[in-house]
Amino acid sequence: MNFSSKLIEEAVQAFASLPGIGKKTALRLVLHLVNQPTEQVEQFAEALTRMRQRIQFCETCHNLSDTPLCTICANPHRDRSVVCVVESIRDVMAIEDTAQYRGLYHVLGGIISPIEGIGPGDLNIDTLVQRVQQGEIREIIMAVNPTIEGDTTIFYLSKKLKDFDVKVSTIARGVAFGGELEYADELTLGRSIVARVPYQTGEGLRGREEF
Amino acid sequence: MHLTQLKLTNFKNYVWQEIACSPQINCFLGLNGMGKTNLLDAVYYACMTRSHTGVTDVHVVRHGADFFRIEAHFQIEGKSEKVVAKVIPRKSKVFECNELVYNKLSDHIGAFPVVMIAPGDTEMVTDGSEVRRRFLDNTLSQIDRSYLNALLLYNKVLQQRNAALKQFAEQRQFNAGLLEVYNAQLIAPGTLIADKRRAFADTFGEVLQQVYATISGGHEVVDSQYESKLNDRPLAALLAEATEKDRLLQRTTVGIHRDDLALTLDGRSVKQFASQGQLKSLVLALKLAQYEMLRREKNMRPLLLLDDIFDKLDKNRVQQLLELLLQQSFGQIFITDTDEQRVREILSKLDTPFHLYHVEAGVATLAHTA
Repeated sequence: MNFSSKLIEEAVQAFASLPGIGKKTALRLVLHLVNQPTEQVEQFAEALTRMRQRIQFCETCHNLSDTPLCTICANPHRDRSVVCVVESIRDVMAIEDTAQYRGLYHVLGGIISPIEGIGPGDLNIDTLVQRVQQGEIREIIMAVNPTIEGDTTIFYLSKKLKDFDVKVSTIARGVAFGGELEYADELTLGRSIVARVPYQTGEGLRGREEF
Repeated sequence: MHLTQLKLTNFKNYVWQEIACSPQINCFLGLNGMGKTNLLDAVYYACMTRSHTGVTDVHVVRHGADFFRIEAHFQIEGKSEKVVAKVIPRKSKVFECNELVYNKLSDHIGAFPVVMIAPGDTEMVTDGSEVRRRFLDNTLSQIDRSYLNALLLYNKVLQQRNAALKQFAEQRQFNAGLLEVYNAQLIAPGTLIADKRRAFADTFGEVLQQVYATISGGHEVVDSQYESKLNDRPLAALLAEATEKDRLLQRTTVGIHRDDLALTLDGRSVKQFASQGQLKSLVLALKLAQYEMLRREKNMRPLLLLDDIFDKLDKNRVQQLLELLLQQSFGQIFITDTDEQRVREILSKLDTPFHLYHVEAGVATLAHTA
């Protein structure tokens, strides 16, 4: 692409360095900013710089946070006896979006995979053990992706926690909601049959919020 | 089961090729390096989702092209099945059966059983245990889906375990807990694989003996024994005992990835004592026994791909072999050879429908049908 302006070219390159954004989209965004009032663009740039400079990881759960303690950990209404262990911050957001969980989180920052050079020492495992040691936690929910590496991580954590008086559970794995049995893969369907749950009256009926 | 039609695009040295197949014998004739074996490999690829030579897809695509495609039409008990492979090396690999895309390539394996007999097969007798494990895996994967799944799982966990052992050495620390986790993950698939290999080897030994006696006319007793440390002790104990050794050598030293299928002739090791003639017969017997095992288990006749069969047997023996195959109403056979005269002579005596193709520099032309 040929640019009449070096300034435009630099801005386009900056946008294009972001994931999922190509040269043409970058140019469209830059030309849009050119037509905006200067003030507004300054605010935009400042929001980014401020975010990058001030963002930190929660010292308890390693979630993203503005303060040393994140809003979830600081919230007095959340259930402190349950901790949900997840791989990344995106998983925290996904679970928060369900509005079904009122406990706390612990972000591992990855998953055990020596092939990728990630060993247990590279993850936030020691801090989890310390949290459990403090004695307030009654249940740990493992919400880790159902892969071989995920199994390794869950197994490893449960070994680390076996001497503490804490219940370890994993999220259920099975047929997707709104899915059809016929199209579920063998492994998933097999697991859901083996790990079936007792039926509770009305449980299968869809709640109003799902319509 | 038989293949009715094969269409290739950019597969090895073929730009575009269409082959109409005879349900019985198909011959590809031509000079060396013209692409006869590549046609067999295309059939193998359509059945097994990879090349028989074990090369990666980068070497399967025609030089200079960025994708290749294989379309294979099969007939199974009067029903037609269409298999399509679309591969862009390093980017995407899609297998379809009747327009439905497989989620996992492994779901395709076993649906269209195939046996290939190639000149390189002698390594099954002369080389290390890896070749014979691959033979076991190839056969059992086509027969048993749970075996293939267990094998894929085992190999992934094994890779992680070995990588962890390397990492321990590099970082000068040792995490016994992590190793125990990997051990626990290996036990279920590893034990299942050992059990299935053991059961298979029992039946396979008998079949091998029968086939060997038929094709060699010899009176030697040939036997195959499944050799594994898991025969004596459970995998859990073996892994636990090997911890220190694994730590030093930075790899997993026990497990089903160390098994062997030991072949003996009159109770003596084949590798050391067999003559050249015995070796050739044995190698052929191994593959025909594999064919027989697949036929029994799948309840249909696999495709038989004979690459350069005259390398192993003289003309009379080949004729005997083909007669034997046809008598037992073997399924469809694909043959490659350099000598047209020789093949025509044999075919004229057999009284079987066949298609004869001339192969020259990546183009196959139908020369004769009967």
